[in-house]
Amino acid sequence: MNRKGFPDFVLSTMKNLNMVMILYLTMVTVHSLYGYMDGNSAMDFLIQVKQMPMEPWKLPVLSIGLYVCLLLLLSIHCQSKRSFLVKTVLELGIVFAISYMLNFSYTGMALLIIADTMRYFSDLKRRVLLVASICVFYILLDYDLLSAVCPIISTETCWGYYGRETQSLLLGIRNILNSLNTMVFISYAIVLILTEVREKERILGLNEKLNTANQELRSANEKLEEYARESEKAAETRERNRLAREIHDTLGHSLTGIITGIDACVMLVDVAPEATKEQLKAIAGVARQGIKDVRRSVKALRPDALESLNLKAALVQMMEEAKRSTGVEITWQIEPALKGFNKDEEDIIYRIVQESITNAIRHGRADKVQVWIDRDFNMLNIHVKDNGAGCVNVQKGFGLHHMEERLNMLKGSLSYHGDHGFVIDASIPIRWGTEEEND
Amino acid sequence: MGRESDWDREDKNKISRDKDSTEADRDEAGKNGEAGDKDEAERNKAARDEVRKKYGIRAGLCAFLLLFLWMIASDAYKMLPGFYENVIRVGVFSDSYWKVQNGYSYRILEDAIAEFEKQHPGIRVEYVSGIIREDYSEWLSEQMMRGTAPDIFFVPGEHFNDFAEAGVLMDLTPLIEGDGEFSPDRYYTSAYAYGNYEGVQYALPYECAPKLMFVNKSILEQEGIDMPGNQWTWEDFYRICREVTKDTDENGTIDQFGTVGYTWEDAFDSNGVTLFDEKGTECYLTDERAKAGISFIGKLEDLNGGYSISSKEFALGNVAFQPMLFSEYRAYKSYPLSIKKYSGFEWDCLTMPAGPEGRNISRLDTLTLAMNKSTIHKQEAWELMKLLTGDEKIQSEIFKYSEGVSVLRAVVESEENQGFLTGNPDAGNAPGLFLLSDAVEQAVVTARFHDYDRAVGEADRAVRSILEGSSNINMETIIQNRKVNRYLKEMQ
Repeated sequence: MNRKGFPDFVLSTMKNLNMVMILYLTMVTVHSLYGYMDGNSAMDFLIQVKQMPMEPWKLPVLSIGLYVCLLLLLSIHCQSKRSFLVKTVLELGIVFAISYMLNFSYTGMALLIIADTMRYFSDLKRRVLLVASICVFYILLDYDLLSAVCPIISTETCWGYYGRETQSLLLGIRNILNSLNTMVFISYAIVLILTEVREKERILGLNEKLNTANQELRSANEKLEEYARESEKAAETRERNRLAREIHDTLGHSLTGIITGIDACVMLVDVAPEATKEQLKAIAGVARQGIKDVRRSVKALRPDALESLNLKAALVQMMEEAKRSTGVEITWQIEPALKGFNKDEEDIIYRIVQESITNAIRHGRADKVQVWIDRDFNMLNIHVKDNGAGCVNVQKGFGLHHMEERLNMLKGSLSYHGDHGFVIDASIPIRWGTEEEND
Repeated sequence: MGRESDWDREDKNKISRDKDSTEADRDEAGKNGEAGDKDEAERNKAARDEVRKKYGIRAGLCAFLLLFLWMIASDAYKMLPGFYENVIRVGVFSDSYWKVQNGYSYRILEDAIAEFEKQHPGIRVEYVSGIIREDYSEWLSEQMMRGTAPDIFFVPGEHFNDFAEAGVLMDLTPLIEGDGEFSPDRYYTSAYAYGNYEGVQYALPYECAPKLMFVNKSILEQEGIDMPGNQWTWEDFYRICREVTKDTDENGTIDQFGTVGYTWEDAFDSNGVTLFDEKGTECYLTDERAKAGISFIGKLEDLNGGYSISSKEFALGNVAFQPMLFSEYRAYKSYPLSIKKYSGFEWDCLTMPAGPEGRNISRLDTLTLAMNKSTIHKQEAWELMKLLTGDEKIQSEIFKYSEGVSVLRAVVESEENQGFLTGNPDAGNAPGLFLLSDAVEQAVVTARFHDYDRAVGEADRAVRSILEGSSNINMETIIQNRKVNRYLKEMQ
């Protein structure tokens, strides 16, 4: 709107200026004509101009009326080419009529049409053609030219009623108004052209911005593709790691239990064959469980116990089995209900407990393992302690490493020390919305 | 088709500009898929219709205003009830055209009006009284400029051209052609031609006055000279003048003269000279006939021996011939014509003497009646004009109440009027009246351009110079003709 505002302002200035001009010229002429009549020189005037001027009162009425018509027409924006032509021809006709009323001493109204037409077309060629033809009309609207063809009363004669000096002054004012109109027209044209140039520049600028944005988008796209490739690779690696972890966790756990159980059987077989039998049955159970785990891992890579039981029950079953198969005394205390975790979390909690027990039996050669799971505000704490050998410098094995990795996934933390036996503390943040599980 | 798109775009731009406020709504509507599109199209259409309606109102207003202005400009509004008046106005001056107060100012006009109103009931005829002859043209011009000029008006001969040139007179040709009753032949040809300007008939003659040669019969009888006939020539004229010019009381100065007031213009008219062209751009002083006229005037003046005579001498009975407008005579003398006494001498009138290459013709002054170009009662005004100029009863009143001659041949030659003018109903074929009729019929109508009087004044100066010049007349006319032409050019 602001962009359009200034040319509109200049145009309305021009319209007002033309109105002033028409009023000025007709009023002076009317006064002069009445002066002739009242001064008993009507006959002299007639003889001089050799034609009858219009009745004086009609001059301002008709010219202002016609000018209002012109303004009305100028305010109409034509919707079709034909109506536009009709409108322009009408406008030119009106300008001719007004100029006639003004004895062709002023024809600047034609500039208004040019000014109006100039902003009509975006098509430069057609605009130039139309404006040029109106310009020709404007040029031909000349007193001297037209008075050679048909009789016109010259303004100078019309205003001859005034003395020479007054007449010069009045004509001077007319010329000033005329020049003003021309200057306003020129500035209108300049403003219009500048506005258009600015508009074009703006569009060019916008285009450039669009191009840059496009480029940026393209490179971002490329990066994204690369990232996607990388992340695919990472997912592959992660999956491989997970598989390795799964094998270690399931097969490793089962096999460790089996080995420990068989070792115990080897020692027991002679002393207590019955117990050995029992032991072997337990081992067989572990092996079966192991094979199930493997199957499950292959199938869904998920602890089977978790598939059918809830987390707590699955943990208890796992620990019961470990106790039975290894003969290690495993005690546990699970306070919270452990409900509301999602599957990953359940998986990870399950694996941490499982791994810790496996580690305690395999590396620490412990015979007592204690498991506590409790909740401290938003943190689920898993605490596994054994009475095994422990170690002063803990070498992170595959198990611990994966445990840490898994916890990191849940933004949890892991700490361990091996001074007296081996202690593992894992904390997992409980996600929002799982609080109801409190009861 | 590509051209159209430009317009469509303009159209849409305009609409979107006008309908900015609903833009957001429309966008939202657009989200609802097809239904939205339909909706948007409808809104667009509504917006376009609204804009179209707005412009339609403006265009209608403009057309209405133009019609209104046209009605003002063309005076068509005067036909509207409230403005329309069934009144014909006549422009007339109070005293006689022939510059005499005769006490009968509006008599003929009033009779004509009464007759007209009888024939055309419902129409009123008005005139403004009290405008004297001297102010009349100025008054008329003023009324014309104000747009309040009468529907028909008398046009003094000297301003006929100015009014015709200013284009304020109605071209009567269509009315004349469209009127089966009207016949220009009833008018004297010369008088009728007076209303013609550049080939267009703008006025009808009302009354006229020819120039006649008044003869002091007593001097002729005294000198034993026969009255010349109506076909007399310059030779006769010169011979008589030479014979009567003498010093009767033998005191050493000439006291009886041949002629007074016979001008080079009279000589030119009777020798077939056209001094100026129609437009007044060229003078024909070098014409052989003009040169003959100038020489003739020179010869006549030489008779007087350098004594310059005034027209008073004719009244005193000391001059044999004086050309005079018929009206001048009527103004000075009361009827009847048969009393041919002029302060103690008998007189008669004759046509003007014919030059070697011309005829016995003279000049005619005519008062014409013209119609206002912007009258709204064209036909009625025409009827009134016909009544005033062509009705025999009205025209015959000219002899009663004015000093001119009727422009109708039938009126001048009618027995009744001859009887009236001669004061004797039995003097049916008094030669004086046929002479009058002839003189009018034969009269010349000179070119009448603007500033004709000034041109004539310049020609008069030129003729004077030629007459007073010492070198031969051929050289002098060439020089003077060139001067007059230069003057005419400057006058343009």
